[in-house]
Amino acid sequence: MSASADHPRPRPSLFASSLRIARDPLVLLILAILVLGSLTSEYYLTMRNLETLLRFMAVIGLLSLGVTIVMLTGRIDLSVAAIMVFSVISAVVFTKLLGGWIGERWVVRGNSFVGPASVVFLATLVVGCVLGLMNGIGIAHFKVSSFIMTLVTLTALRGGNYILTDGHPYYLQSDAFRWVGNADFLGIPFSFLVFCSVLAFLAWLMGRTNFGRHVYAIGGNEKAAIYAGLKTNRIVILTFMISGLCSAVAGILFTSRLASVDAPLASGYELTAIAIAVIGGTALSGGVGSPWRTLLAAVAFAAGLNLLSIWGVSTWYQNLAIGLTLLIAVGLSPASRKRLQL
Amino acid sequence: MLSTNRRQFLGGAASLAVVAPWAKVGLAQETQGVHSILNDLIRQYAAAASSMTNPSVRDLYEQDGFQDYLEAYPVGDLVDGFVWEPGMGAEFEGPYSNLPIKAPFTDYIPLDEGPVLDPDRTYRIGFVFHGFNHPWLISLADTVAWEAARHPNIELEVIDAEFDDSRMGQVIDTWITRQFDGIVLWPAREAPMGPPVDRAIEAGIPVVSLDRRTSSSAISSEVLGNFYANGLQQGLYLKHVVSEGNMVLNRKDLGSTADSIRTGAFLQAIGNTDGFEIVGNYHTNSQRSLAFDATADALQANSQFDISFNTGGEEALGALGAIEEAGRLNSGSSGKIIILANDDAKEIMANIRSGAIDMVAPYTPLIGDVGLRALIRHIGANEGRNEAPPRLIITPNLPMVTRTNMTIEGVQTLTPDEWLYAYGPAVE
Repeated sequence: MSASADHPRPRPSLFASSLRIARDPLVLLILAILVLGSLTSEYYLTMRNLETLLRFMAVIGLLSLGVTIVMLTGRIDLSVAAIMVFSVISAVVFTKLLGGWIGERWVVRGNSFVGPASVVFLATLVVGCVLGLMNGIGIAHFKVSSFIMTLVTLTALRGGNYILTDGHPYYLQSDAFRWVGNADFLGIPFSFLVFCSVLAFLAWLMGRTNFGRHVYAIGGNEKAAIYAGLKTNRIVILTFMISGLCSAVAGILFTSRLASVDAPLASGYELTAIAIAVIGGTALSGGVGSPWRTLLAAVAFAAGLNLLSIWGVSTWYQNLAIGLTLLIAVGLSPASRKRLQL
Repeated sequence: MLSTNRRQFLGGAASLAVVAPWAKVGLAQETQGVHSILNDLIRQYAAAASSMTNPSVRDLYEQDGFQDYLEAYPVGDLVDGFVWEPGMGAEFEGPYSNLPIKAPFTDYIPLDEGPVLDPDRTYRIGFVFHGFNHPWLISLADTVAWEAARHPNIELEVIDAEFDDSRMGQVIDTWITRQFDGIVLWPAREAPMGPPVDRAIEAGIPVVSLDRRTSSSAISSEVLGNFYANGLQQGLYLKHVVSEGNMVLNRKDLGSTADSIRTGAFLQAIGNTDGFEIVGNYHTNSQRSLAFDATADALQANSQFDISFNTGGEEALGALGAIEEAGRLNSGSSGKIIILANDDAKEIMANIRSGAIDMVAPYTPLIGDVGLRALIRHIGANEGRNEAPPRLIITPNLPMVTRTNMTIEGVQTLTPDEWLYAYGPAVE
């Protein structure tokens, strides 16, 4: 169990916190990337590029946040990307059927969805939660390994996407989708603001509530947590529901940006999400990590990839860079954990 | 150029192209003639699709909504009255594949070698596609790179988005940020690529798509192949050689233009022949291994297996591998399992020559040069130097290749030796 969960330390001063953050290797890495980017490309720090970067980060960051919460319990969620796409597809199909029941035709020629976006958004969130609930029940109550359970979910949902769409994309045509996909405030994309809101909520949840402390406790030593009287099953289920919800929110942002949803979208994104959580210092064994560090990792990841793109580096080398970074992060994590006393 | 979608075509708005002789290969068929003949057949079979009598074919046709896709697919004439003849085109070594290439359409929308537009300026152009591991796609990239290399003031950046649509969108966004002069793309799927293309157009950057379409209505040009003629000819050939049999379909990913149009056109062609029964329908997504597995499963499940329809060359080779491994190539009601293929890879041609694969509808990947030349014209139009090319750039319908010359509903087939444009590594 992490020290913070057992014996909360006195809150450090603002100066001490700032100093600690400034010494964080991820912060240094982000600064290095930004400096390198600004020195090597006139385009890197332009508003347009930063917008692109933040939009990408919002989606992948939301998936990573969900994975982080699950990983803190010592489990893993491989189904985040599949839930992200499936929740939107099933919401569109549900809304289409709903329209049929009330005599409205909300999917018109060319598979264009023209129904109410609010219903799709709400249904997407509900589906994300329900899928997380199913994952959680399978893992907590039926004692299926989280790896197997979420792998099964991933596979089933990928198949489900094709069944629900017949392989044809749904075009999301309404102004609401366009707005969610493209809106910004003072140059800050709406999707990034959503990500920040979810991050702030999860940071509060994990750092300031009993629920958060219990999650760390389960990840640190589950047996001890059970003996301490924690309702671990309920907490594990809730973490998967949070992950499902994060995926659903990411799905809304992702598909709104593409103005469409298509069965094969986002294949492999779950691995990127896990990679970011690990780079952020979240231990695969649980009990260690935080949403804030996942944020830093997501920034570093997105900024680094974006810089490689700006340089025109082939995606093969980008993948290689991701792999090497992950390797280094995993290799360094015990040492950095000790040093940072996470 | 007059180009139109099939609905307009049916309405009689399209005019058929001029006929020119195919002197070089000594065939009676005329090249522009085959373009016209095939367009005419497309019209004929499309009109008959509403009254399909084969229930197995009709059910699939309706279930997958092929009609909508086929109606929207453009069918029409070539740009500037271009007349293509076999033997045309440049020969070179593919910059990426390092293989010898003869590209058929290097005289289509022609552009002289040397600096383009403003010779004192360097034009930065991005080409984003998926799949440096696929012979068809490498050949596509080869032709883009070859054309770029002919013009010293063009700087080409090539990115493989690895079948991640979102990543392709990010690549385009990055090029918008870097203020590229133009973008050529090969979109795997139509729907997700519309918004990034729209953003590029909004930023004043012309965009040309190759082979497949995007959902953008603002895109500068779309260089389209002859998917419709491909699928149709597969059906025409099948009807010509047999009138019944159990068939298995190995298709590309549902929702892709290649699948929608080829499979739809194939079903249109055979929809009124009652003897065909679809006993298997798989999406093997251009992967030979998946097509192998699907066909192996179908062979297990069906003691009577007569026809293998494949929407791509990789699928056909996978199917052939499974059929040969099962030792059932020379089985089926016609004495041999009929294998229908698309994509004129050299490996496919070798199998046509040997008789293992029965026909292939060529779908050349060697069209990247056309796209780049069209893009340069668009950039020139933005600079006020020339007129912009049309939005729809249709490439010539190509006749099917069979082991021996045949004439099927007016379409004269070519043999593998007469087809000079096969791509990929040589196979004997």
